[in-house]
Amino acid sequence: MSPTAQAAPPRTAPSPPPGAGRRRTRRGLSDAGYAALLTAPAAVVLLALVGWPLVKLAADSLYTGSGLGDGRSFAGLDNYVTALTDPGIRAAAGRTVAYTVVVVAAELLLGLAVALLFHRLGPKARILQTLFLYPLMIAPVVAGLLWRFLMIDNVGIVNELLTRVGVLGDPGDVSWLSDPDLVLFSVALPDIWLTTSFMTLVLYAGLQAIPPDLYEAARLDGARGLRLLVSVTLPLLRPVIAVALIIRGVDAARAFDVILIQTDGGPQSASETLSLTIYKTMVGYNDPGTAAATSTLFMIVMMVVAMVAVLTIWRPGKES
Amino acid sequence: MSHLLAARIRTGLLWAAAVAVVVIYGFPFVYLVLTSFKPAVDAIAVPPTVLPQRFSLENYVAALNRPGVTASFVNSVSTATIATLLSMALAVPAAWGITRYRTRAGRVLMAGSLLVRMAPAVAIGIPLVTILGAVGLTDTPTGLALAQTTVALPLSIWLLASFFEGVPREIEEAALVDGCDRFTALLRVILPVVSGGVAVTAIFAFLASWNEFLFALLLTSIRAQTTPIAIANFQSQFGLDWGPMTALATLYSLPAVVLTLLLQRRIVAGLSLGAVKG
Repeated sequence: MSPTAQAAPPRTAPSPPPGAGRRRTRRGLSDAGYAALLTAPAAVVLLALVGWPLVKLAADSLYTGSGLGDGRSFAGLDNYVTALTDPGIRAAAGRTVAYTVVVVAAELLLGLAVALLFHRLGPKARILQTLFLYPLMIAPVVAGLLWRFLMIDNVGIVNELLTRVGVLGDPGDVSWLSDPDLVLFSVALPDIWLTTSFMTLVLYAGLQAIPPDLYEAARLDGARGLRLLVSVTLPLLRPVIAVALIIRGVDAARAFDVILIQTDGGPQSASETLSLTIYKTMVGYNDPGTAAATSTLFMIVMMVVAMVAVLTIWRPGKES
Repeated sequence: MSHLLAARIRTGLLWAAAVAVVVIYGFPFVYLVLTSFKPAVDAIAVPPTVLPQRFSLENYVAALNRPGVTASFVNSVSTATIATLLSMALAVPAAWGITRYRTRAGRVLMAGSLLVRMAPAVAIGIPLVTILGAVGLTDTPTGLALAQTTVALPLSIWLLASFFEGVPREIEEAALVDGCDRFTALLRVILPVVSGGVAVTAIFAFLASWNEFLFALLLTSIRAQTTPIAIANFQSQFGLDWGPMTALATLYSLPAVVLTLLLQRRIVAGLSLGAVKG
């Protein structure tokens, strides 16, 4: 499941009673020692399965060659120079940004609209809310294939329906997945379809948490409709929107299966985002050095962007 | 009176809008299921129709008779089961340790789990190919499950931690007074209190593995191939064989739909939990 849930950090606990840290049980293990024992296995597994691969990735990024022992040699930062200057990789980075912006912006607008709608209708619309959540559980690979099926030029139901309602003159008029100018937008559709539900869910929960008397106060001051939305709802939703944007932004930037299954990055690489480029560099061109350098850079940029987003948009603790 | 009428009309329009949104949103998946019951020829008929003109199980028979398809289901189930069990076995103590004792190491693990999410899967997957190969786990459900644990475990830790948040400390203290040791108290007393949350977390871990594609693509070839890869191979190997593909995609989505149906209310709680507390 790519569109996954994410919980926020636990609230700060009431401080433990004095002496709690030193309390000992029969086995003589302090609370801190016991806590360490509980968390150690998970930490070790994550270090082995994530930490070690990432260290290896960083190490591999300094070598050239196929990685099978033949002609593997130390290359210093050459792979990084390649990653930063290769026109293919640079174009893919640009497409990744465009793809992420399209997906996240569309989801935020749609998700907010639907969340406001559900919020207005209240608990009576629960069944509709639940139905709306279903795409979240569908595998990205299925979503990608499904939308590809929907968007085939002549056989696809999308063009057929658009023709029937008169938007298109002929079902062959738009080639969603083979028009290089359109394809990056088309491949984003299943991603938007899959995870707008997540946006809606999170924003809906955020709307529920806004105290109704705040709206009353604003109404007494004469605020109505759009004004109410812009000056009361959105500012109060800000932390929630930030969390949703960061989670979805990170996921969208990493998108892989949805695109691979629809176009394999084509036509003429027009829908090839960084994850696909890295995969192809590795598997297709058998160039693990460049693939490793590109993914190292990709990861660093993602983390920096996410951190900056957390600190600037979210601003935890500054407003509430 | 007219004021009341206007309000009624507005509410009616909002309901109509909400229904329309759900219908449009649900349409792609409904269309997939409907198409899977058409005869293979009708599935790619020009022009396409929404409703099947003739009902047929032909696509299902064709899909399940493809070599490797039933084996891929077995692989998917065993991989997801291993990944879920491993994630839960590690995440339950870890999440409890983090929420109950609030040590610095616990906070580091929480933050680390979040950082893992930022790493592109391809960045972890590529070195894992060599690492798992070195320990003889290439193309095995266990190897793939280990890789997928990198997704399922952090997710489980975060979800469980937010469920454990709601457990009053008195419950554990009462159990300790009754003579339980701390670990028994966790298993026998605390866990039953949050059984709903544990179930939801296990479902998310299971689906994270069930739906996962990139690791499966990198780490399996023939023996351990999971269903997403079988679905993906459908198209390249046999051209655009849409009919049977829709049948296989429907079958493959079934567990996710059923699991969601069974625990929908709790899943909503799990999905939104904490996300707003930030």
